[in-house]
Amino acid sequence: MSTTRRVGCRWVSGLVALALCVVPARVLAGQAAAPSKERADDAAAFREFSARMQEYVTLQKTVKSSLPALKSTDAPEMITAHQQLLARRIREARPNANAGDIFTPAACEAFRHASRSALQGPRSAGSRAYMQRGEADPAMRVAVNGVYPDTQPITAVSPALLASFPPLPVEVAYRIVGRTLIVIDVESRLIVDVARHIFPPA
Amino acid sequence: MQPPMRRRVALSLILSAIVALVLSANGAADFAFPLHANSVRLAVIGDFGTGDQPQADVARQMVKSRAVFPFQFVITVGDNIYTGSRPSDFEQDFAVPYKPLLDAGVPFYATLGNHDKTNERFYKPFNMNGSNYYAFKKGNVRFFALDSNYMDPKQRAWIETQLREAGTGDWKICFFHHPLYSSARYHGPDIDLRRVLEPLFVAYGVDVVLSGHDHVYERVRPQRGIYYFVEGASGSLRAGNLAPSAITAKGFDTDRTFMMIEIAGDDLHFQTTSRTGVAVDSGVIHRTIRPAPGGGTRE
Repeated sequence: MSTTRRVGCRWVSGLVALALCVVPARVLAGQAAAPSKERADDAAAFREFSARMQEYVTLQKTVKSSLPALKSTDAPEMITAHQQLLARRIREARPNANAGDIFTPAACEAFRHASRSALQGPRSAGSRAYMQRGEADPAMRVAVNGVYPDTQPITAVSPALLASFPPLPVEVAYRIVGRTLIVIDVESRLIVDVARHIFPPA
Repeated sequence: MQPPMRRRVALSLILSAIVALVLSANGAADFAFPLHANSVRLAVIGDFGTGDQPQADVARQMVKSRAVFPFQFVITVGDNIYTGSRPSDFEQDFAVPYKPLLDAGVPFYATLGNHDKTNERFYKPFNMNGSNYYAFKKGNVRFFALDSNYMDPKQRAWIETQLREAGTGDWKICFFHHPLYSSARYHGPDIDLRRVLEPLFVAYGVDVVLSGHDHVYERVRPQRGIYYFVEGASGSLRAGNLAPSAITAKGFDTDRTFMMIEIAGDDLHFQTTSRTGVAVDSGVIHRTIRPAPGGGTRE
């Protein structure tokens, strides 16, 4: 083999090696950029979610301020009456509320990512099985402005999920029904908003 | 006494001693609480609010037991009212079965289970004062009631502050619905909750943890120095659901139960009684010295 051909081969080998280094680096850079963009998008979606949640709480407080405050009582009928009246008044104050008003599509996506990362790995199956065994019936009807049924238990929300979801004001709380995430108004048990298919299938 | 007679007497004494030891180990022998003058005495019930006959039987047994062991208050580990939130549900699941205790001025301190409605915190006889989680002190014992349905960062921070500020002198007893350790088949331990709470319990010297959720009774061998009890069978029962494991110190899953506890100084005496009045478990826990957070020792 002549010297020229050997030099040419080295050039080709060098270019191939360079390509092998550069292409994965670009791919990796792209992959790194995607999660970082996803994180930024999720953070923005969660900010929007929290702002909308706060708007709801402001409305709820306004409604509540027009009712006698619920205090500790020996009379359970007072508790029930307060719950029902508050639910009715909130419903009247937001008659056109729809699923997705607070859980925007972007927020739903952010909750999916947060759930996946909070429950990922070997602990996922165990955590989800624990949460769902004998808990809220996944076939239960959940609709905005409906009341969470009295006869249904609640599913304990994993502390890992609660740590990765946006914190909620005390007036509202997350609940899990099968694969659906909902927010309920704690005192009236009214379903404030519904986000479906947040949790992966069992 | 003739030698054969002496042998017979000696043999019968040895046999009696063996029987007494076995009975004591099984907790089947009558257990006498010390009834110290300034002790803290309580009963524990869990998963009870069914409104049916077995719950009423347990409640009656509690009244009977209180005649000989005058417990001062009752704590509940949740599932207080299963049937709903109508006024009649509060009546049939709670006010009626425990009427003799309520009439005698015995306060109840409740926690919320997964079958409870959050507004139960406004029901005065539950002494929750509108809060899902709260703390109170009786004698030399600090009690911390948690809401294990919803252990968010805010509640976690609250319990850490409470435990830290409680110092090291008093007993610390936490109670909530979902068990950190359980050998029952249906639910078993809440591992996610354990990951959050156990490090705090260890760091701040919690002595005893009482839970329910699994409808059995189980006393768990001390885990990282902490005694765990599951008392989830004071109304509901999942018969035969306990699969005793290496962590089980004692279990009972063939009938409903409730617990009685007396804390005097550094000793905690407990007895678990079935609805027919049989003592199914009993014993004494002596507080041991453990390192306190930030160095030093805990008395």
